[in-house]
Amino acid sequence: MAGAKEIRSKIASVKNTQKITKAMEMVAASKMRKAQDRMHAARPYAEKIRNVISHLANANPEYKHPYLVEREEVKRIGLIVVSTDRGLCGGLNANMFRMLIRQMKTWEEEGKEIDLCVIGTKAAGFFGSIGANIIGQATHIGDQPNLEELIGTIMIMLNAFKEGEIDELHLVSNQFVNSMTQTPLMSQLIPGKADADDDYGHHWDYLYEPDAEAVLDQLLTRYIEAQVYSGVVENIASEMAARMVAMKSASDNAGKLIDELQLIYNKARQAAITQELSEIVAGAAAV
Amino acid sequence: MSSGKIVQIIGAVLDVEFPSDAIPKIYDALIVEGEGISTTLEVQQQLGDGVVRTIALGSTDGLKRGLSVRNTGEAISIPVGTKTLGRIMNVLGEPIDEVGPIDTDERMVIHRDAPKFTELSPSTELLETGVKVIDLIIPFAKGGKVGLFGGAGVGKTVNMMELINNIATQHSGLSVFAGVGERTREGNDFYYEMQESGVVNVEDFEKSKVSMVYGQMNEPPGNRLRVALTGLTLAEKFRDEGRDVLLFIDNIYRFTLAGVECSALLGRMPSAVGYQPTLAEEMGKLQERITSTKTGSITSIQAVYVPADDLTDPSPATTFAHLDSTVVLSRQIAELGLYPAIDPLDSTSRQLDPLVVGQEHYDIARGVQNTLQRYKELRDIIAILGMDELSEEDKLVVARARKIQRFLTQPYFVAKVFTGQDGEFVPLKETLRGFKGIIEGQYDDLPEQAFYNVGTIDQAIDKAKTL
Repeated sequence: MAGAKEIRSKIASVKNTQKITKAMEMVAASKMRKAQDRMHAARPYAEKIRNVISHLANANPEYKHPYLVEREEVKRIGLIVVSTDRGLCGGLNANMFRMLIRQMKTWEEEGKEIDLCVIGTKAAGFFGSIGANIIGQATHIGDQPNLEELIGTIMIMLNAFKEGEIDELHLVSNQFVNSMTQTPLMSQLIPGKADADDDYGHHWDYLYEPDAEAVLDQLLTRYIEAQVYSGVVENIASEMAARMVAMKSASDNAGKLIDELQLIYNKARQAAITQELSEIVAGAAAV
Repeated sequence: MSSGKIVQIIGAVLDVEFPSDAIPKIYDALIVEGEGISTTLEVQQQLGDGVVRTIALGSTDGLKRGLSVRNTGEAISIPVGTKTLGRIMNVLGEPIDEVGPIDTDERMVIHRDAPKFTELSPSTELLETGVKVIDLIIPFAKGGKVGLFGGAGVGKTVNMMELINNIATQHSGLSVFAGVGERTREGNDFYYEMQESGVVNVEDFEKSKVSMVYGQMNEPPGNRLRVALTGLTLAEKFRDEGRDVLLFIDNIYRFTLAGVECSALLGRMPSAVGYQPTLAEEMGKLQERITSTKTGSITSIQAVYVPADDLTDPSPATTFAHLDSTVVLSRQIAELGLYPAIDPLDSTSRQLDPLVVGQEHYDIARGVQNTLQRYKELRDIIAILGMDELSEEDKLVVARARKIQRFLTQPYFVAKVFTGQDGEFVPLKETLRGFKGIIEGQYDDLPEQAFYNVGTIDQAIDKAKTL
């Protein structure tokens, strides 16, 4: 019965893989719920503050904060890339990297250089391997991200902007649409832009106390932190959802593979039995 | 000579009784003499009391007990030498191409000993076939033995015909084709193809370069059991004259199968999987004679049918040990539509050695095999988890492996009727250049479809532009 043992051990190994993927599917499902809660908690603040900044950018005040002023010539672009720490989450990271690479290529063709701050080991590994210019990274954030862990990377970018090393700052992360769909999204953080789809119809400005500079400096920093934080939280929710779906299809595929192998094994077993029988019968008849 | 009488007939096996002072020797040829009957028998066993057990080399229809049998006193002998060129004969050396007798006095007995150890000459000179996968992974040696292993319908005969087309028609030496238990139609096709390409010259047979021996599947087991020896004897004669001979045998498995058919009738107990207990001996006797000596060389290419695609089956397993190069045709590859369906991982050649083919060729061949092996390992992961979970390096390996798989295909001259595409003879240098480029990543930007069914890498580049 040549090969039967190999088939049996292969079935066993696929079964083990299936156990793992099933477990991961269930873990991801339960984590997804919590991650979604966190995402929903972070969203209102992030949206509100974006609204405020959008108004500010739309306004025509006496004092314009540097974060709101578009530079005439964009030579260098800063990117904060939010990825996952772990794999086995389908095409989540790969899709985002693909979109980003395409964008980076067009920038490079326009003669713009790119600095990267990466969050998550996957982005660190990927952009490290293709030789991109990484100036900061934050990895092993865990399932419950803490703003303190992110501030380092954000500050690097903000300082670079202040010192004129970069002229634009973008955030790239996955947007959680629903548990089946996550889309990579790139949004510009600095210079702050007015929401294109919002039609205010008029301009307004706020009243600042003690003065515009002090308030705006704080506010814009908070705004960027909030955006990055919500990006990270949303990315984690996306990761869990993507992992759940990927692991479900992996378990299904493993099941199919086991069925196929089982059929081959049964056939091999049957063939071996038939052969032995016919040999015995033929042998007996010949004697 | 002495004569005896038939005492028992069971299928192709006959018992003949002789006077106890004139018992024929083993392998002696006997001739049944009846009205309009002249079947030849070959002695296999001495049963005692003057009775010998024989195999009929020809039909036993119309034979009956009591018919008189004459002993010729010697084993079967066949005409050999240049007079046999361009002719077709059967197992007994009788012409079957209906253009008159073979006019020669040179005859040789088909049972002979294998050349002595001291007469053998190993050769390391390579034989270029123009088939990419063979030249790269399974280089043939001049004077070497090659087996084409494959299950039903994966292309053994097509591959053999392509090799005949690429080697024999360009080859300056002589060829012998032995059709053992295969389709009569294929033998017929071969004859006419050889006429078209001028290898068989019907105007002047002496100018032909191939002799043919047919014992196809319509013939009794005795014929199929001995026809390989007949073909081999022709090749041996040419070799001993100091020529380089190509010997094509299609199909060695039918020789084993004929042995099975006779074995039980001869009263031997079946062994593993129902094969004859003397399988290894029979195969050894045949295979050991197919060899190159100091006087001349026999390069043999043998098709070997693999029952139920199981290479561990005793018949192909016994054949394996005798060969220098084994070309394994795989059903999985044929199912993917990749022809020739030669498995680059299962096939091996003794010549794939840096000392024979050179370091560069060796490195490229091993690089190709490594890439394909890695892809094979990753296939389970891809099947379960999908391509997205692979690392960037592994994705690259998979992409290159798929390109290599496609680049290993090529159009065949003899398969023009199936593909509608002219065949390609790819020189070894071009083969090496192409595969080297792929494993080094020079062609990562070309779509994998561009590599399918092309000859050289330049054709792949041209094809990529049209996609």
